[in-house]
Amino acid sequence: MRDTTAALVDWLGQGGRRIGQLAISPDPAGWELRHVDDAGRTDLQLHAHWQDARALANLDDAGAYRALKTAPNLRHGWRLVVASVEHLRRALDYFYPAMLGMRLAEQAGAMTATCLRETLGRQTGMYRVTQKLTDAQAQELILQTCNHCACLKTMRWQIADDVPITSLPVEKFVAAQDAEHWPLLCAEGCNLLVAGARKVVKGAAE
Amino acid sequence: MAKYANSALIIAGHGSTLNPDSSAPTWELAETIRERGVFGEVHCAFWKEEPSFRQALHCVDRSDVYVVPNFISEGYFTQTVIPREFGIEGPVTQVGGHSVKYCAPVGSHERMTPLLLKRAKDVAPGVPTQETSLFIVGHGTGLNDNSAVAAKREVARIRELGVYGEVIAAYMEEEPLVAQWDQLSTCPNVVVVPFFIADGLHSYEDIPVLLGIAAESPGAVSANAGTVFARNPYQLRGRTLYYANSIGTEPGFADVILDQVAAFDAAQT
Repeated sequence: MRDTTAALVDWLGQGGRRIGQLAISPDPAGWELRHVDDAGRTDLQLHAHWQDARALANLDDAGAYRALKTAPNLRHGWRLVVASVEHLRRALDYFYPAMLGMRLAEQAGAMTATCLRETLGRQTGMYRVTQKLTDAQAQELILQTCNHCACLKTMRWQIADDVPITSLPVEKFVAAQDAEHWPLLCAEGCNLLVAGARKVVKGAAE
Repeated sequence: MAKYANSALIIAGHGSTLNPDSSAPTWELAETIRERGVFGEVHCAFWKEEPSFRQALHCVDRSDVYVVPNFISEGYFTQTVIPREFGIEGPVTQVGGHSVKYCAPVGSHERMTPLLLKRAKDVAPGVPTQETSLFIVGHGTGLNDNSAVAAKREVARIRELGVYGEVIAAYMEEEPLVAQWDQLSTCPNVVVVPFFIADGLHSYEDIPVLLGIAAESPGAVSANAGTVFARNPYQLRGRTLYYANSIGTEPGFADVILDQVAAFDAAQT
C-alpha cells in the first residue's frame, strides 16, 4: 500500500520545505505553514487547527474566492501550526488539493497525461461543444488560462499527441527537481480550461 | 464498521468555481466521517473543483475504494459524468490498481424523507402543517430523464404521511416550474425546501428570484447569501412563505453516506 504520509515524512527529512506558495518549517509544536512571502514576519495571525487550512485556502487577499487553488494568489498574513505530519498532509490537501497524490502517482509511473483533444472529446451536455475548439484557439486559451501568473502547475499534457503546446514557455513543462520543492503537476486540462473552451467556441459562433 | 479500516471513501460532489459554499457540505461530511474513524482514509472529489474526479484516485493510498456521490438525483452526474471521469464501468471497476465500488447517491436514500420533514419543520416552527403547502424543489434538466425522479419520489413519500395540506414537486428548469408556486398551491402557508446538496447560486439566488422573494444580483456571487433565509417569513401573493436552506447541509448526511456504503456491500453479497 502506498503511504502518502510516510512519503511526506521522507520529503521533509530530505529538506522539503516548499509547495506552491507555501513555506513549511519545523515548529516546537509540530510544523508551521505560511505564505512564502511572509518569511520573517512576526505579525502573522496564528491558526492552530489543520482544519483552518480550508478557510485560509479559500479566499485571496481581497476576499475573493479562489476557485483554482494552484493560482498564485494565496492570501498573506497568517501562519498555521499543525501537530503532526498527518495533520500537515491534511492541511496540504486543502491548500493544494490532489497535489501530493499526483506527484506520488508520477513517481510510481501511475500518472497518465491526457491530451486536450481527449479531454474535450469525452465531454457531454453543455461542454460537448468544446470539441469544436481549433488548435489555434486552444493555444491562445491555454496561454491565458495556464500561464504561470494564472496557475503554478507544471503541465504534463499536450493539445494532441502530435500537437504540442507552443504558446507557453518551456519552463511551464519542467518541474522543480531540487529537494526543497514539492512540484505541482497537471496531468490534464482542468474544468476551468474546459469551461473556457466553451466560452471561446460559443463566442466565436456569435 | 471496522471492516472499512483498509478501505478508502471518496465523497464525490459538484463544487463550484464561483463560491466556496458549494463544496463546504461535502468537505464537512468528509471531516465528520474521518473523525469517526470508520475508513482508513476519506477524500473528497469534485466536478468543478480540485481534487477533480479525474485526480481523485491518485490521492488514495488504499486499493479498496468506495465512491459515494453527494448528489440528490440518480441523474446526469451520477449516471454519466462521475462514471466517465472515474473510469467506472459497473458496480465494481478495476481502475489503475484500485478496486472502485460505486455506491448510490445520497439523495436516493430513504432517510431523505425524515431529513426533508425536519428541515421543513425547522424553517416554519409552529405553523400548522395541514394549512401548509410544502414544496420540494429540484433542479430538473433535459439532459437526463431521471433528474427529477428524486424530488418526485420524496413528494410521494411525504404525501402518503398526510402531514401537510399539500406536497408539491417543482423545478428550476422543468415543469412544474417553481416560479409558478402560487398557482400550483392553495394553502395559506407555503414552505419551500430546496432539494439540493449545497447552498450556492441555486438556493441563494436562482430559486429566490423564481419565487419572487429576491432580486437578481448583478455579480457572479449572490448578494442574497446569508440574508435570504434570515428574512423568513415572506408575505407575498397573499401567502406566507418560508424558505429553507438546501437539504444537504443537514448533519444527518454523514450517516446517509455510511448507509450507502453498507447498502452497496449488502447488494454485492
